Amino acid sequence: MAKKMTLALFSGSVDKLTAAGVILGGAAAEDMDVEIFVLLQAAFAFKKENAMTNDRVAEITDKKDEFLASLKRLEAPHWTEAFRKAKEMTNVKIHICGFAGKVWGGEKLDDFIDLADDIVGIGEYVDAAENSDINLFI
Amino acid sequence: MTKEELKQLKPDKVVDARGTACPGPLLAVKQAIADVPEGGIMEILSSDEGTKRDVPRWARKKGYEYLGDFEESGYFTIYLKK
Repeated sequence: MAKKMTLALFSGSVDKLTAAGVILGGAAAEDMDVEIFVLLQAAFAFKKENAMTNDRVAEITDKKDEFLASLKRLEAPHWTEAFRKAKEMTNVKIHICGFAGKVWGGEKLDDFIDLADDIVGIGEYVDAAENSDINLFI
Repeated sequence: MTKEELKQLKPDKVVDARGTACPGPLLAVKQAIADVPEGGIMEILSSDEGTKRDVPRWARKKGYEYLGDFEESGYFTIYLKK
């Protein structure tokens, strides 16, 4: 039986989302089942109008330009592409937290990029986390 | 296997992941393994240091045989057998 990873994705910054994308790649390589819960600031990043233009970073912010230039130089996939690739390779479900969505004006699934599968409540996160082999908070 | 022995191998599939960063090479290997026949050999080229450890570990988990690796001309060449 496949191992399970639950990711509570709080951060909406490109540096942390890129890290999440790398971790998802690792999970995909291991054929893991993954459930991602998009919380608060991550919901901002998942909004359709923000996903590709948001270039905020959370840490070492004075080196933001160098960081973004390095990602380009290394041909690192955009985080949305990394998430999409993981979805193609293994079982990944991406849930938008209803509260988080509302914080950023997202009321329906169509307000978010097509990576999102549904809008859920926190109970579903707790349930998923309880039944996971790996639990992460990014 | 020695470097010379590895160089003598005739791979059934070559994955050239040079220039891509983690987890790119590992995902490329995972996607390409389906093209390798049972008992076949995959050759992986990677400039990513982490791949040198990722591939053997992944191969062992999946029940494939890691044959060895060497570094030359600025990249790693890794072999595994399905």
